[in-house]
Amino acid sequence: MSAVTLDRAQPAGGVSSRRVGASSRTRFFNALCGTVVVLFALIWLVPLAWALVTSLRPEGEITTNPTSWWTSHWTLSGYRQVIDSSDLLVWYMNSFITSAVSAALSVLTCSMAGFALARTRFKGRRFMLGLLLAGLVIPPQVLIIPMFQEFTALHLTNTYWSLILPTAPNVVAVFVFMTFFRGIPTSLGDAARVDGAGWFRLYRTVYMPLSRPAISAVAILTFVWTWNNFLWPLLVLSSTKTMTIPVGLASVASGYGAHYAEVMASAVLGALPLFAVFVLFQRQIIEGVTSTGLKG
Amino acid sequence: MVTDTIAGPTGTAPARTASRRSRTPTESFTGRRTGPWMTAPFMVLYLLFLIGPLIYGIVMSFFNSSIVHSGLGRFAGVSNYREALTDSAFWQSMWHTVLFTIFTTPPLVILAFVLALLTERIRHGRWFYRFAFFAPYVVPSAAVVLIWLWIYTPAVGLATKWLSAFGITAPNWLGSADWGMISVSLLTIWWTIGFNFILYLAALQEIPREIYDAASVDGASGFATMWRITLPLVGRTTALVIALQIIASLKVFDQIYLLLSGGPNLSTRPALEYVYDVGFTDYRAGYAAAASMIYFLAILLASIVWLIFSRVRVKEEAA
Amino acid sequence: MLLGMGGLVLGGAALSGCGTPLATGLTGAAPAHDQFTYWNLFAGGDGDRMVEMENGFAKANPNIRLSAVTLAWGNPYYTKLSLATRGGRPPDVAVAHLTRMQTLARAGLLQPFDSSDLARFGMTPDKFTPKAWNNAHVDGKLYAIPLDTHPYVLYYNTKVCKQAGLLKSDGTLVDMHGPDDLLNALRAMKKVTGKYGLVMATINDPSSCWRIFATLYWQQGGVLLADQGAKVVLDEDKAVKALELLHTIAVEEHLMPPAVDDNGTVVAFSTGQAGFLFDGEWDNSIYTGNKTPYNMTRFPFVYDTYTCQGDSHTLVLPKDSSRDSARLNECLTFIKSMLDQSYTWAEGGHIPAWLPMQDSAKYHHLKPQSNYADVANAVHYDDEAWYSGSGSDLENVVGGTVSAVALGSLSPTAAVAQIRSRLQGYADTPSPVS
Repeated sequence: MSAVTLDRAQPAGGVSSRRVGASSRTRFFNALCGTVVVLFALIWLVPLAWALVTSLRPEGEITTNPTSWWTSHWTLSGYRQVIDSSDLLVWYMNSFITSAVSAALSVLTCSMAGFALARTRFKGRRFMLGLLLAGLVIPPQVLIIPMFQEFTALHLTNTYWSLILPTAPNVVAVFVFMTFFRGIPTSLGDAARVDGAGWFRLYRTVYMPLSRPAISAVAILTFVWTWNNFLWPLLVLSSTKTMTIPVGLASVASGYGAHYAEVMASAVLGALPLFAVFVLFQRQIIEGVTSTGLKG
Repeated sequence: MVTDTIAGPTGTAPARTASRRSRTPTESFTGRRTGPWMTAPFMVLYLLFLIGPLIYGIVMSFFNSSIVHSGLGRFAGVSNYREALTDSAFWQSMWHTVLFTIFTTPPLVILAFVLALLTERIRHGRWFYRFAFFAPYVVPSAAVVLIWLWIYTPAVGLATKWLSAFGITAPNWLGSADWGMISVSLLTIWWTIGFNFILYLAALQEIPREIYDAASVDGASGFATMWRITLPLVGRTTALVIALQIIASLKVFDQIYLLLSGGPNLSTRPALEYVYDVGFTDYRAGYAAAASMIYFLAILLASIVWLIFSRVRVKEEAA
Repeated sequence: MLLGMGGLVLGGAALSGCGTPLATGLTGAAPAHDQFTYWNLFAGGDGDRMVEMENGFAKANPNIRLSAVTLAWGNPYYTKLSLATRGGRPPDVAVAHLTRMQTLARAGLLQPFDSSDLARFGMTPDKFTPKAWNNAHVDGKLYAIPLDTHPYVLYYNTKVCKQAGLLKSDGTLVDMHGPDDLLNALRAMKKVTGKYGLVMATINDPSSCWRIFATLYWQQGGVLLADQGAKVVLDEDKAVKALELLHTIAVEEHLMPPAVDDNGTVVAFSTGQAGFLFDGEWDNSIYTGNKTPYNMTRFPFVYDTYTCQGDSHTLVLPKDSSRDSARLNECLTFIKSMLDQSYTWAEGGHIPAWLPMQDSAKYHHLKPQSNYADVANAVHYDDEAWYSGSGSDLENVVGGTVSAVALGSLSPTAAVAQIRSRLQGYADTPSPVS
């Protein structure tokens, strides 16, 4: 395992050593691979780049020449229009608060449950594990009808809670924490227990500080997932003041009609925050995805 | 890992084993009192917002409940199930879901693998490719659809223009029943491939260089290396990617609803949108609950088949 | 110390400032009371005119902070409105089609209007199109204030019609009565255009297909649904007769292009490929805009009694337990303001339901929009059912079948059988609103 890590740390060296005796055919093959992947990457960037360019062009120019990539009159008027005419800034705040609280609540409840299931033994633990396994196969999407009735009865529609509460019971996150905690040698905890620390302190002072990778994976992925969640917020958020970015964009921004600069500006603005999150936490997100396989 | 718990290296471990044998577990060794308390916050939410709704949904599916009234309404017996099972619109929507899965899963798995394989060979600027392929994945569905709606716009859209530059007459992307599903599949491949891509990229980077070096010393061609060495070594990742991909595709809703509203003429409406339509637009909560349960059972069945299939394969590999 | 206090005060002010929506989200409290929320579903030209009217209201009532929201047309709008009301956070006033309002009212999602409240604002029954006003009642209670009537109409290309000898000396269309008059007119125009006589959207627009079928069926005195949709009373002979006329026009004589969507109709009618266009009246600004030589009149009189499919946009009060008398007054002020600005609305083609405007000389001079004002009381609203109304399942299901007839893939008899069996499925379903 360590050999792999070592090798991964110096991939360039590995490749070049392989290339020392490479024939011209292999070199040609490598160049071909490079060209193909560059081509694909460019194709993949086209929609985003096009949206960005269009959002910065004046509306009149787009009507006369819709697919041009250039303008001599770059303008932010599309953005100004969107921010002035919609509640976009409020949607940002709503998305941010619900995603952040969901992430925090998920980490807290799932790590505690994961810790108890990994490290303590109590009556009903096996039953609980079985119940969680069953929950693993229930897609929350099939529960929208009873959930809507439940939240209506609780008078929780149009509140942040309607988005936060259903994201917390994330069974996969519990198993992620459970596996991670099991990987931490008990000897570390035992030392603390000799000092008379209770279970809760053990969890707080020994296990959680050692679980940064698991915490950041669950937190960031829950954040991204809550931010992008669409169907459930569409059902429970009806006031434009409580909408999140995806619901607001879908229900209100579609009314911009043929004002392409505005539509693209709203798309860019909708994508921007998570882009920032992605650029800042790229490593954690990718590690989180690869180590946990968490998917929305 | 469980052995790890029982046989710790410090002196306390034997005492713990002993106490367990004597069946007198104490709080400080087992946490039998703290354990339940620590799971309580999660379990309360779990029961309230997952298990509870499931049970309520099952009950509701036997009633003529309405979304605009509270309470269950009149008892309906199995009539909701009978209606759903005989409704061609329901089965069509189930078929659209399957069709979407068939359209998107192979490209999303194979293309992701190929792109990861190619990227892995590149020495410089790997971050650029990771960015290019994974960035769309973090864009919210609504923003993705706004962009693609315009790409697909007849006459002035980017897709139409570019195709006509090559002398190809662009199809009616969103307006024709034949192309609707293809259009939404293309969008989905662009949007979500990054997830599979980075899983594959990570798996490929785990493969020790020495194996490749040995293969090239033995004179294996590049293709043979890939077929005989790379593919089997990323087998686990492939299993994971396919499983996650199929399950995600079976739950499709966002992009089809936003791009096409299930149209044209309901030709792309997925099962989840059928539930949404009958439950929230037609107010028929009880019937929609029954349709969701059938849909749920279908997903469950797919998961079980997959589980059995992959277990068998793992056993074969082990043997 | 003083500085510290100042900071506290400032901080508090900032918190409460941005805290309003925050508090809304956390507690689920109703949005701040100084905001008056209004929902509508208008896009395009109607959307622009509605914004103009909203601005007119805001200017006249600076003390009311209007928050107007435009949502996607059709089922998504009504779903959102229903869920918002059910969830206890509806808008103060919302637009609803008259034919969809009935279902909303029966579902208990609307608050009826009180006639004495309305009288305080000068909105009395005698000031509204009687047909729209009467249909705005459900079980004897008034649930909606009609803003307009929007009928299915006939657009005709004056250049084509003149060449085909279909214009009177005053430049308007000759009177037609009966299927033969219609067919002969189409044949004459086909000779002139060399392409078609008529165009209408037949694909990707089930509502358009529903309108032609319903109009031809209702002109024969047919009824489709009874008992609020629990019974299908389709008269098969009349339905076959209606579809056979469509079959003759589209399939046998090729008097209209078989497969055209909304954009296609615009192209075909503006370029003079067809002399007649059957469509809703709201597209007139397109043809005025692209300078098509055209005029508008009521839908042709083909069978026994004159009627044409139509609907009305209305303003409704979603049920809201927090609506006090002050808020109700704001709602009524807003509704009255919309009625007073009916002229702006009428420019889009809709016949104003507000009689002071409908009877005014100003409106009568609005051409071609006022040419068909006489059908305001002759329109036929969709038969009441929980699955009927503009953009509803009824329109989608019947429209889909009618489309197949126009495309020639289904015979009129087979189509009628299909309509009956599909509607029977809905009729057999217990109504979710009763």
